[in-house]
Amino acid sequence: MLAIDGVSKTYRGGIRANDGVTLTAEAGQVYGLLGHNGAGKTTLVNQIVGLLKPDRGTITIDGLDVVARPDQARRLCSIEPQSHVPIDGMTPAQAISLVGRLRGGRASDVRRRSAELIDDLDIGQWADTDGARLSGGVKRLVAFCMAAVTPGRVVILDEPTNDVDPVRRRMLWSRVRMLADEGVAVLLVTHNVIEAERSVDRLAILDHGRVIVEGSPASLKEGLSSDLRLELVLEPGAELPPMPACVQRSVSQGERILATVPGPLAAEAVAWAQGLHDQDLLEEFSLSPATLEDAYIEFVDRADAERRPGQLPAIAGPVEEATGAADP
Amino acid sequence: MQPIRSYGLLVQWQARRLKNFLPLAIVVQALFALGIVIGYPLLFEDIDAATILFIATGAPAITLITMGLIAVPQIVAQAKTEGSLDYMRTLPLPRVTYLLADMTVWLAIVLPGVVFAVAVGAFRFGLELQVSLLVVPAVLLVVLTATSVGYAIAALLPQQLAVLVTQVLVVFVLMFSPLMFPAERLPGWLAAIHSVLPVQAMGEVVRGTLAGNQFPLELGSFGVLVMWCLVAFTLSSVVLTRRG
Repeated sequence: MLAIDGVSKTYRGGIRANDGVTLTAEAGQVYGLLGHNGAGKTTLVNQIVGLLKPDRGTITIDGLDVVARPDQARRLCSIEPQSHVPIDGMTPAQAISLVGRLRGGRASDVRRRSAELIDDLDIGQWADTDGARLSGGVKRLVAFCMAAVTPGRVVILDEPTNDVDPVRRRMLWSRVRMLADEGVAVLLVTHNVIEAERSVDRLAILDHGRVIVEGSPASLKEGLSSDLRLELVLEPGAELPPMPACVQRSVSQGERILATVPGPLAAEAVAWAQGLHDQDLLEEFSLSPATLEDAYIEFVDRADAERRPGQLPAIAGPVEEATGAADP
Repeated sequence: MQPIRSYGLLVQWQARRLKNFLPLAIVVQALFALGIVIGYPLLFEDIDAATILFIATGAPAITLITMGLIAVPQIVAQAKTEGSLDYMRTLPLPRVTYLLADMTVWLAIVLPGVVFAVAVGAFRFGLELQVSLLVVPAVLLVVLTATSVGYAIAALLPQQLAVLVTQVLVVFVLMFSPLMFPAERLPGWLAAIHSVLPVQAMGEVVRGTLAGNQFPLELGSFGVLVMWCLVAFTLSSVVLTRRG
């Protein structure tokens, strides 16, 4: 379906946004493209839809070279861009319907499908409100509907859940799955790893423009499966004492600390964390099986360490290579 | 049929997007055109009927040109900044359709004011107009050329630079172009430049089709304008199709 092979893109000024990116998303699949801000995800998307031209490499959809035929790229792909799609002056119902017809949909099909989407995402109460008066989350959902009303063979969703409330997020994910079930390849661009874990069939992690690993969420977590994940939330202003040996790897995100604990040492780690909690150093803590987020952090850190030889990665520990790893 | 259908839908899209701005823009354009027709003659203490007719028939061209060079770049620059230009570029539509739809909306914004101002001028000063059917292609050519230039400037240049360039162009058009005065009053070198630039030709085709009895229409002006229109339209189409 969507095949990207060796795509590289360097912007004027020498910033290499994509470096030999290779991946394939099949029909019926939700394919996640994960990475930090600035990892090169949106650059890749813009090359697929023909807004940017790769310096090297090929992009094909159903075997058709869309780099040579950007007009076909636009026919075969529909997109929810990362930035807001301004629809001020229009209502969601009008905007969805107009885009559906501009994408070649028949008026009756567009009407039916637009009503379905609005209903499934529970945004009917705003269907006839001027776009300028919609909240960010509703605008995001409307932009999704605009991409899904007359979908291309590939539907690209760039951060579709930003600003969306938790209840409608679930509705959105089920609609994304329905899109894939209709035979579309969904390319889901996100840095929200927790959501991606539940929603994607396969994924690639992009770091500094390169695919550092590619596979199913389960295959990416394989190397971490015997470890548990300890999450600590510090009390405001509290300082964490040195970690005991049972807490082996950690990364700090503000007052939230993520650490890894080997399964057999779980009891020891819980006792340590409970002690900190009793001393009012921790607001809360939890121990759970390793997640895709752990794998993600691990892979990105390893890639960073490889790029800067001589410097130790922030998290050091044995991680098995995931299946289908595409690290060059 | 597909391109015509896309064109119609795009006109709907752009008109709806500008819905809140449209009535005000139409009124402002009308006031601008009216200001020229009624206000310019006040510069002269003793003004004859021929001069008034010259001014009244120059006003439409000035209004159409300034809309193309000021309003269009502003709207396009805003569309570029807020991301709607790139979003529209991801839809499966021929680029030309997009340009033509935009121009249709802009024409709808500017035309009522121009017609209104000329009519008021004719009534106020008792002008004898002789409107030819060629006024339709004349106005279309002027709008297409001016908006194409404005479009290309806004799409090609960073916003601040685009504003500067359009301001320079507007000063040039308003002050140093033979729209409200005959080309003979310009220094020889500037008159020579204007004979190949589109501004003078724009003035002449509009004036010649509104008052052919006083200002005979020269086909050469149409020729110059058609050439510039092709160049500007091609340029803005290329700018729109360009991939970074």
